[in-house]
Amino acid sequence: MSVASTPPNILLADGDASSRETLGSFFERHGWLYDVVVEPSLLDSALDKARYDIVIADVALPGVDSLALLRGILEKHPTQAIIALGKESSYDEALNYFRSGATDMLARPVDLGWLERVVRQVVCSRRTEERERLSYKFVTSERTEMVFSCADIIELDTVPLPIVGRLESIGALDHGEALKVRLAVQEAVLNALEHGNLGLESRWKEEVRANGEDRFAEVRRERLLDPKYSERSVYVAVEYRSGVLHISIRDEGQGFLNLKGMPEAKKSAQSVSCSGRGLALISSAVDEVSFDHNGSEVTLRKSTKHLRRG
Amino acid sequence: MDFPTEIVGDKGYIRVTSDLDTEVAGEALRAAFNDVYDKGKRTIVLDLSGAQIINSYGIGKVLMCYKRLKAEKGVLMVKPLNGFVKETFELLMLDKLLPEDK
Repeated sequence: MSVASTPPNILLADGDASSRETLGSFFERHGWLYDVVVEPSLLDSALDKARYDIVIADVALPGVDSLALLRGILEKHPTQAIIALGKESSYDEALNYFRSGATDMLARPVDLGWLERVVRQVVCSRRTEERERLSYKFVTSERTEMVFSCADIIELDTVPLPIVGRLESIGALDHGEALKVRLAVQEAVLNALEHGNLGLESRWKEEVRANGEDRFAEVRRERLLDPKYSERSVYVAVEYRSGVLHISIRDEGQGFLNLKGMPEAKKSAQSVSCSGRGLALISSAVDEVSFDHNGSEVTLRKSTKHLRRG
Repeated sequence: MDFPTEIVGDKGYIRVTSDLDTEVAGEALRAAFNDVYDKGKRTIVLDLSGAQIINSYGIGKVLMCYKRLKAEKGVLMVKPLNGFVKETFELLMLDKLLPEDK
């Protein structure tokens, strides 16, 4: 794999002097550009001054909340690739780094061959994304249709929404808006699964057993094993057209909500019921929510920012 | 997935170390809550600083904890919230329901 014409540009934040020297020599040998900061607190100002393909950040410094550090960087620079450099970690620890936005993890002592591979992959992928990002500004409409089985939805943490990602990458949606749209879709898909396809009733969440489990969870588990329910599908259509994002989610149940649902949802959002907040969250994320087919289809609409092309 | 718990004085603490938006995370919260509850604690504090995201599923689980405590005149509290989780609590007015443990 070859890296595109300009060499990788790396910001190394490493508290270990000998490691800095080893990695610096390695970068120079490959003709890569790099800057160094010796303290994580200096990362922020370095990233304000220049753009880097990759940040390699020491995440094992005593007294430093590394997860907060990663999140802080990504809050200001959402597309920044970050390789977390640290000790051997458990699966859960590593998962936390990835959930906090790390692109990859490297354990000390650094395997330089592996580092080279990761850097080349990240840079190649970022350059490709950059080209796609620039060209996506000229797209006026795009549509994606997806079908999921109930089992698929249980397996998936989130529904893939590449159009939302592309709109975020060109600035038509900011990071917070894109996150809320993703969560709204997740809520709507879960509604379609649970109330639509599995026919579960919200009031069952109030029937809590001594072990803390509720009837809703019990019946959910049973129905996911019953082909009568579990073989139903959820259809997701995402369309970007004339600056507006339209997302429709349809299930094969009786309709997870009738037209009286919205005021009820708003009412329950203020109560201490264990259910009914999904629609309040959906409504807060988009400009418009509408229902069709007796409530078995919900459509979310979100206007995007006007794009400057070129 | 396990959420660590700790007993300090009269309070039980649960540190939520992942987003609270999946069945796995919801089950981890339920198990951690049961652990502290079974030790007799009726003032329980949730530290949600490890969660960037909470959805209606996670909120349902939090409210289940709230209701179990309230039934025994207990209190569910939260450590000061941040970011999207704070925004979601405010939107759903849960910040009025669950006092902060400062």
